[in-house]
Amino acid sequence: MDCNLSVDQQLLAESVRDFLVDTHGPEMLRKLDAGDARDPAIWDGLVGMGLTGLLVPEEQGGLGMGLVEAAAIARECGRICLAEPLVDTAFVAVPWLAAKGETDELARIAAGERRVSLPHSINPWVADGDGEALESVDPLRRLVTAPADATDDPLLLDLAALMSAAQMIGLAEAMLDQATEYAKVRRQFGQPIGGFQAVKHQLADCAVAIEFAMPVVWRAAEALHNRRASASVHVSHAKLAATDAAIATAETAIQVHGAMGYTYEVDLHFWMKRVWALSGAWGDRAFHYRRIEDAVVGGTLPIGPEHSFA
Amino acid sequence: MQLEYTERQQAFRAEVREWLAAHVPADPLITLECREGYDQHVGWERTLASGNWGMVTWPERFGGRGLDLIEWLIFEEEYWGAGAPLRANQNGIFLLGPTIMEYGTEEQKARFLTPMAQGEVIWAQAWSEPNAGSDLAAIASKARREGDHYVLEGQKTWSSRAAFADWGFGIFRTDPESSRHNGLTFILFDLNSPGITRRPIRQLHGHPGFAELFFDEVRVPVENRLGGEGEGWKIAMATAGFERGLMLRSPGRFQATARRLVELYRQLGDRASPAAREAVVQAWGAAQAYAYNTYSVAAKIMAGGRIGAEASLNKIFWSQLDRSMHRTAMQLLGAQAELRTLLNGQPNDWLEGYIFSLSGPIYAGSNEIQRNITAERLLGLPRQGAG
Repeated sequence: MDCNLSVDQQLLAESVRDFLVDTHGPEMLRKLDAGDARDPAIWDGLVGMGLTGLLVPEEQGGLGMGLVEAAAIARECGRICLAEPLVDTAFVAVPWLAAKGETDELARIAAGERRVSLPHSINPWVADGDGEALESVDPLRRLVTAPADATDDPLLLDLAALMSAAQMIGLAEAMLDQATEYAKVRRQFGQPIGGFQAVKHQLADCAVAIEFAMPVVWRAAEALHNRRASASVHVSHAKLAATDAAIATAETAIQVHGAMGYTYEVDLHFWMKRVWALSGAWGDRAFHYRRIEDAVVGGTLPIGPEHSFA
Repeated sequence: MQLEYTERQQAFRAEVREWLAAHVPADPLITLECREGYDQHVGWERTLASGNWGMVTWPERFGGRGLDLIEWLIFEEEYWGAGAPLRANQNGIFLLGPTIMEYGTEEQKARFLTPMAQGEVIWAQAWSEPNAGSDLAAIASKARREGDHYVLEGQKTWSSRAAFADWGFGIFRTDPESSRHNGLTFILFDLNSPGITRRPIRQLHGHPGFAELFFDEVRVPVENRLGGEGEGWKIAMATAGFERGLMLRSPGRFQATARRLVELYRQLGDRASPAAREAVVQAWGAAQAYAYNTYSVAAKIMAGGRIGAEASLNKIFWSQLDRSMHRTAMQLLGAQAELRTLLNGQPNDWLEGYIFSLSGPIYAGSNEIQRNITAERLLGLPRQGAG
């Protein structure tokens, strides 16, 4: 019984974090925003790290890892506000196709030759697909209208909701870091504003929210990886907990930045807008809340102290 | 990430469940904040000890079972799931016990731990003073060395369990020239010592609960000092770490409350506001999140890690969760919420629980202090007023 990522899983996530920090800093976000939001060089780097093949079975040229590892890396993608469709392609489409037995394309995906966009009936749009363009508040998100015949497959929804939650943990952590660093250097009344309790307590509350949302995401990843009967409830719990933590952290982060936070010049807005987008994507708050309520109040999920891991 | 219990852990859970089913009192005990209820709860501590369940993680030679933290969590889950009574000796077993284990001499361990695990000696804590609450380092009570004794002078207040307990522990100023965190010493004392006056304080719920303690030339042998002279602050902070961290409030307690809340909602939900309904679902989720986090921390400690300032995150989280769950239950009860006995004849435990939950964000270091610790030690923000 161990709710922590293993040492190997942590090392893997750290190596991805180091790579992304080096190659995908805030200046890259500004550059993508000034251009068309995608850069083949970034994609090639992700492919080079083996990330497109993370969940592809070894016989198809991948690394054959699982959803817990993918969620840990999705968190890192959130942390640096990655724009390229790595999570959708490699951590959502790949396990979904593999579960359906559609393995033909997996080798090409692992090799980085194919990106998969995923229509689902729960979303009115498709990310990185072909069709009539829609404008997202997130300047690095590329959306088109969803086709009328999109699938309503529940596994696809669960995979994408889980990976959205994992990204939101990283997005929240990054925003908390940015606000904390700003509070250390911004001086008013002759001292760093981070010395005032009115500021530090808001940031402490974000730390609490993130601390207790993160293990819910790992739990959901484990449940979905092992296809536990309760997996959908845990995915919804993860989406709800991560959304609430990320929205609260976004609002706190802009408040701590003051008027600077309301400017386009401060990079915070990239992370904040991604949170707004992901919080409604792949099942909004009402959808996931209702799924939990149906299971917990409806009685299909055993609850109580002896059922922590039901 | 490995979320399966071993066969041994499952067998242990079954053993705990079986024993509790046979021994937990059928009728709830009276509140332990009054004489009669306190005596009932001490009786329950003795019953627990008769089954060797006093403190399962302690070594067998101190009245424990030598079990690990995961097994302790399982024990606690079953304990709260069975609706067993509150622990009269929580100050001893969860706070002082681990502190003695870390800082005590072999003689102190032998003398204090077994009676603690067996419920023979019930402990009160004596941290706060009238002018040293959140600002604990402002402690003014003194311990003057005279030969092989300390002589205690001063006043402690809001001391949990002190109205009825046998022994107390706290920090006293041994260096009269010192200030703040220096010159403090951790001392254990018999609450029936000559010179100690206890004045029970009536709490919000109307019962005596905690107490003021007045020390007038109280002589305590030097061997009752825990750790070195002047090391009191460091040791007290370790104790407080146990309090805020893993031990004091295990997740099973809140998961049991969340389940009761869901059951209440099933009875009364048709008249609930959408906000109350969402709060019920949030309660289940937060109690689960607290469980995952605690299991995670337990595994880290078992792998050789320590709880540091992260304990403050815990304390903020569980105290807010507990208050929120009870507030939601009060909303669900509507006009009945004010009644001491509900219309169905059952005692209104939610009302008692709501009142108690209001103390959670205050005791064991107020949540404002916990937020300072979180901001300064985990996030690295400057101290209040610093340059």
